[in-house]
Amino acid sequence: MIFLALAEMLRAKARFGLVISAIAMLIFLILFQQSLQAGLLTSFVGAIRNQSAPVLVYTVDGQRVIQGSVVTPDLEAAVRADPAVAAAGRIGQGTFTVRADGERFDTSIIGFESPALGAPTSLLRGRLPELGEVVASEASAASGFDLGEVVTVEPGGYTLTVVGLARDVQLNAGPTLFTPYDSYVEAVRSVNPDAGDPLPNVLGVSPVLGTSDEQLAATLNEISLDIDALPRNVAADETPGVAQVRQSFQVIFLLYGLVIPCVTGLFFLIITFQKSRALTLLHAIGASSSRLVGSLLVQALAVVTFGFAIGVALYTPVSSQRLGGIPLRFETEAVIVWGVVLLVLGLGSSLVAARRVLAIEPASAASGGSGR
Amino acid sequence: MITSSPALEMNEVRKVYSVAETEVVALADASLTVAQDEIVALVGPSGSGKTTLCSIAGGILSPSEGTVTVGGEDITGYDRRRLTRFRRERVGFVFQSVNLVPFLNARENLLIVDEFGRRERREAKLRADRLLEELGLSDRAANLPGQLSGGQRQRVAIGRALMNQPSLVMFDEPTSSLDTELGSQVMELIRTEMKSRGTSAIVVTHDDRITHFCDRTVGIVDGVLAA
Repeated sequence: MIFLALAEMLRAKARFGLVISAIAMLIFLILFQQSLQAGLLTSFVGAIRNQSAPVLVYTVDGQRVIQGSVVTPDLEAAVRADPAVAAAGRIGQGTFTVRADGERFDTSIIGFESPALGAPTSLLRGRLPELGEVVASEASAASGFDLGEVVTVEPGGYTLTVVGLARDVQLNAGPTLFTPYDSYVEAVRSVNPDAGDPLPNVLGVSPVLGTSDEQLAATLNEISLDIDALPRNVAADETPGVAQVRQSFQVIFLLYGLVIPCVTGLFFLIITFQKSRALTLLHAIGASSSRLVGSLLVQALAVVTFGFAIGVALYTPVSSQRLGGIPLRFETEAVIVWGVVLLVLGLGSSLVAARRVLAIEPASAASGGSGR
Repeated sequence: MITSSPALEMNEVRKVYSVAETEVVALADASLTVAQDEIVALVGPSGSGKTTLCSIAGGILSPSEGTVTVGGEDITGYDRRRLTRFRRERVGFVFQSVNLVPFLNARENLLIVDEFGRRERREAKLRADRLLEELGLSDRAANLPGQLSGGQRQRVAIGRALMNQPSLVMFDEPTSSLDTELGSQVMELIRTEMKSRGTSAIVVTHDDRITHFCDRTVGIVDGVLAA
């Protein structure tokens, strides 16, 4: 059956080449959009997902936006006093105009009281900042936020030196700077000298031994109706807009999931119709239905495999590029998942054609018909 | 395959089709014996039941009644799977219209029989090359059916029918698409190939001009055989 399958493919290179190209293009688009989705979400909420505090405490009024949340002293005291809390630290965040390399950028500055509760979880290069220093998002390094660069908060002229770079720590898809809480306060005051002592936007907290992040969040939410405590990943996922972005992409992926079986299924159904006379003849001279179906499935497997391989080959160089300010990345998990999905859908859809093959009557060869 | 039994024995074979609640008798109590090494011409007008008889003898159709024995093997009660295997191993076919797989070249059209059957590979390749040589097609072995003339295609089909070394070959109107001269050449070739192998054959035709290539002629009208 491999002989028959490959012989036909070799003799109909254009036909099979076209369907392989179509599948390769679909796979390329799917994987590219997977990278785009991941890059988009990371550039929006990477700073939340990849900071060190396991649980973030917002106020309900903030509606899960760090900048919109303000933790009052009484709530802060109540959180710090809770026995399930091992440590708590202030986190402040604001969007500032920052001049870097002669250009102005809307930049998120995140101040953390404790490096274990709000600093980036890991650094790509450099070190954690001290007063007047920042760790910058690596995605912005080329825009004047590279290691050793000095950036200026405007108006006011407060300067910050970049001493570290971290990957995937952007907030709102712009340059993002992590700095000690006192530096953050200085930045606020330099822009607005009347600001006084700004209140923290959220609190970063860690649980005592034996308490999970989820349990701690639940415990803290019991303290007051004004508190909205969330584990780190949940906080990132629940940020307004994230679910909508994810949902939009899921609709697109669902559509792709429908197109793949249509492409492969219709292709094999059409060629089964086209070669039904040959299949009838083969059945009449003794080829079993299972052999003929096997040959069809070998072709479907080859088409899916080649299409997938070419799609991934096209995707690989693109996945290391940057789309605007959004860094793309090779999504290994997506490649594996879509590989399996393509295989299942491709082979599954060709079973419709297989049913046609099984229904072929060998007597049609004698009567001169095609059997279908 | 050489056995002491006749190549074909059909006894009181009847084939009835149901068409819109009406029974159509395609073959009525047909009895036919084809001896080993014998070539029988089955002659009759269109719709007389020639192809039906041939299809039953070759295991493509099952009879409604009666018995069919090919080379001593009673195939009357065979199910689809056993009939498929029987066709693969025991008989050869040259059909009237659909004879070659268009995406396989001449040599591959012969080798496909081995692919679905015994899978002897090396021996099969030798046999295919030998058959193509005998049929005068050695230089056309790599040609696709579309690149062959009508006569060449028919010769390839004959070679394919002989690939599994059958005891009985059914030829359904083998000259219908050929002119008189080419038709005679093909019939001569059929006779030579059958006789050189001791293989029996039924040649279905409505053309009286080719019956002299056969050992015996059997007529059929409205599904009824007449010796």
